[in-house]
Amino acid sequence: MKKYLSYIVLFFSSTFIAPLMAQTTTTEFSLDNGLKVIVREDHRAPVVVSQLWYKVGSSYEKPGSTGLAHALEHMMFKGSSKLGPGESSRILRELGAEENAFTSDDYTAYYQVLARDRLAVALEMEADRLASLTLPEDEFLREIEVIKEERRMRTDDRPSGLAYERFKALAYPASGYHIPTIGWMHDLERMTIADLRDWHERWYAPNNATLVIVGDVQPDEVKTLVTRYFAKIPARPIPAVKQPLELAEPGQRSLTLYLKTQLPSLMMGFNVPSLSSTDKPTDVHALRLIGALLDGGSSSRLPAQLVRKQELVAGASAWYNAFARGDSLFVLSATPNVQKGKTLANVEAGLWQQLKQLQDTPPSTAELARVRAQVVAAEVYQQDSITSQATQIGTLETVGLSWRLQDTDLAALEAVTPADIQAAAKQFFTQSRATTLYVHPEEARP
Amino acid sequence: MMSLRIFSASLISAALLFNAGCSTFTQQQALQSNSVEQRISSLAALSKQSPVTRTLDIQEWRTSAGTKVLFMAAPELPMFDLRLTFAAGSSKDQQTYGLANLTSAMLDEGTGSLDAGQIAARFEDLGAEFSAGSYRDMAVVSLRSLSDAKLSSPALELFSQVAAQPSFPAASLARIKNQLLAGFEYDKQNPGKLASLALFEQLYGEHPYAHSSSGNAESVPGISRQQLQEFHRNYYTAGNAQIALVGDLSIAQAKAISEKVSARLPQGAAAAVTPEPVKTPASNTHIEFPSTQTHILLAQLSVKRGDPDYPALFLGNQILGGGGFGTRLMEEVREKRGLTYGIYSSLSPMQATGPFMINVQTRAQLSEATLQLVQDLLRDYLENGPTAAELADAKRESLGSFPLSAASNSAIVGQLAAIGFYDMPLSWMSDFMQDVQALTVEQVHAAFQRHLNPEQLVIVTAGPTVEQLPLPEPVDRSAASAPAGRQH
Repeated sequence: MKKYLSYIVLFFSSTFIAPLMAQTTTTEFSLDNGLKVIVREDHRAPVVVSQLWYKVGSSYEKPGSTGLAHALEHMMFKGSSKLGPGESSRILRELGAEENAFTSDDYTAYYQVLARDRLAVALEMEADRLASLTLPEDEFLREIEVIKEERRMRTDDRPSGLAYERFKALAYPASGYHIPTIGWMHDLERMTIADLRDWHERWYAPNNATLVIVGDVQPDEVKTLVTRYFAKIPARPIPAVKQPLELAEPGQRSLTLYLKTQLPSLMMGFNVPSLSSTDKPTDVHALRLIGALLDGGSSSRLPAQLVRKQELVAGASAWYNAFARGDSLFVLSATPNVQKGKTLANVEAGLWQQLKQLQDTPPSTAELARVRAQVVAAEVYQQDSITSQATQIGTLETVGLSWRLQDTDLAALEAVTPADIQAAAKQFFTQSRATTLYVHPEEARP
Repeated sequence: MMSLRIFSASLISAALLFNAGCSTFTQQQALQSNSVEQRISSLAALSKQSPVTRTLDIQEWRTSAGTKVLFMAAPELPMFDLRLTFAAGSSKDQQTYGLANLTSAMLDEGTGSLDAGQIAARFEDLGAEFSAGSYRDMAVVSLRSLSDAKLSSPALELFSQVAAQPSFPAASLARIKNQLLAGFEYDKQNPGKLASLALFEQLYGEHPYAHSSSGNAESVPGISRQQLQEFHRNYYTAGNAQIALVGDLSIAQAKAISEKVSARLPQGAAAAVTPEPVKTPASNTHIEFPSTQTHILLAQLSVKRGDPDYPALFLGNQILGGGGFGTRLMEEVREKRGLTYGIYSSLSPMQATGPFMINVQTRAQLSEATLQLVQDLLRDYLENGPTAAELADAKRESLGSFPLSAASNSAIVGQLAAIGFYDMPLSWMSDFMQDVQALTVEQVHAAFQRHLNPEQLVIVTAGPTVEQLPLPEPVDRSAASAPAGRQH
């Protein structure tokens, strides 16, 4: 049975819960070529994770050239000056490493998790593909077919993936966030190896990257290794980057899709700022707490009110990414309880009623205390995984914030009052900021 | 936000030298002759010794109620994980498909004095995380809590109540059934899921592993509250339970916790062992579905827990298609021909014999050619076995990845739960590694031939019927094919 998961990432102060936390030591330094390195020591097990984050993702792309950031990610495994196509993966596999890469709107990142004595190999190969990626055309012609298969699997044949892609395209009228990370199929069809060579040359420079290393290592040994492999790579000018900004109130929008699904569903998104784009951080922290009040656990409002009490929905969720490079969305989604005869119209009214309640009545102290208890515990639990520690650091750095935000974040959340929450609900949950998506089964097409 | 995986692997072949800032690429024949250690200096410097492994000090005991406990202290973080397992999975459903799953899903819906909302609120007030799940062999009930006694004591008290004294309120039962029915409708939009459901039915026939753990739209509506109560009384017993506990606890605290949790459970003996399935004949099933890709599954009954051939099958499967990177299947189907985003082979040893399975999806026009290619690759592997070089690489990989398997509390509690449930020795993880390291090519080959037969495959495909195309030519990664140069 699916349990409700918390969709928001919450950070908070190490001073507040100092007695609860394990001692963590984090060290930061930069090479002369601009590569920023952050090392967090975690000596529980003889393993280490290395993540290299590039400040480039699908929101940096142009119409007609969508999918480049992701396609380049695939091609990073196809050889560099010291390595043949696929060879780095074979070497890492033999060493027992876990490796992968991921691309989003705001970043492209590469990682290896491995026994601590093998870190140098991961770094040497990572540096080589930053400095001297081969990008052979014959490999690209195969790989673009793989990417099209990936798109068919994740988007074209998956109604929820397809619906979210179309929803995003409408919800972000002004910024690059309307671009799907995997790229439109017609852009994949016309992508060339020259586009990718240009992309790598433009964005893959040490001064546009952050290296995050978490695990059983000493900062000095890391510094020696990183200097050995990365210091000789020259800095290069990076194109001026504009923050993705949206219209505050683009106007009421809606979209109706008929898809190969048996169940109707609804998605609602509101154009809101992120922590990077706001000039009033309290608004953002209030939205984060609203996310937790609505969907922070099985006792939160959507499961308690809509799933259990009203039996209006089979499932519902609320989601808000406060840690984006530019303006963000606050998203609600739900599937009606069709067994009880509930419709999309019922669900839409029910979601609006939840938002109106936030606007009309401030949350109780007890409800906020529960959210806070979950936040504190989640931060401790998060430390069980070196990968999630590294991902948190890498995300903050790459979207233009600092990993040091972790130290002040709980205090920022603590400072949010019930009145702030009410005010944020009033300001942001309006029709003029809303995009609504209705998904119907194909059979229901009029 | 989306995150996307990439898999990639090949043997070293041609490589091109990139002259940064220059406009041509020169064929770099030198790479061909240089060994990888010559090119990657850190690899040459790497000690040939095995990596350091975390020492796991596991304690084992039985509580006075008869529950086996495996415990490891991990005082580094102020938290602990408790995992309670029961032989109470869907293999115990008998004719009431979905009974085990519904019992598990209903645990935190009420305890008599508390309703679902109150249970959830109480766990969340304490920062504790409760979860319950049900599979073919086992039901799992878990708690993650901070170790501060002010928080952990009430969390454990509530956890015990929920696991041992659920009240299965009738109103909740109706609602959870509706959610399950919505889930079955949701599955109908997923050709991969439909193929997998059909595969288990074909593979297991009348055996209790044949039906989906969730049950189905016909079986779930009729399940009664009384059936849940009986199932709980029969299977959620102290004698049918194991406890795995990892975290910031002393052994005295761990003993007190396990004593208290197990004492509350109904008394009862271990459930009967799941019977062995009958070998199934080869078959070919197609599900017509209006997707752009065809999902292809190939499977056969293969191995159960405790089989002495398991280490050989595990290692051999890593070479064929396990884990994703650099396997024969991934190399031939994805890397050389661009036919798929991912192809995997897996072994699922369970209490009774579990399946060996290959899973791939490709554009519908190439589904027949892809299926043929995969069958040819499997046939070749079973006929000829792995090469000595492949075996050596796979052994080195297993050794290198060993420290990762115990890198977090959640990884360790998972291992302990499996060791406890399947009644394996405490030294299982290191024994397994030693067995793997001692294997020869002949032993791996022979184990594959004993357990798998390429003519006995159960095959299921789900996708549209469309005109078929031949396979594309494989990309040639040998030196001859490397382009001599290109404009930049």
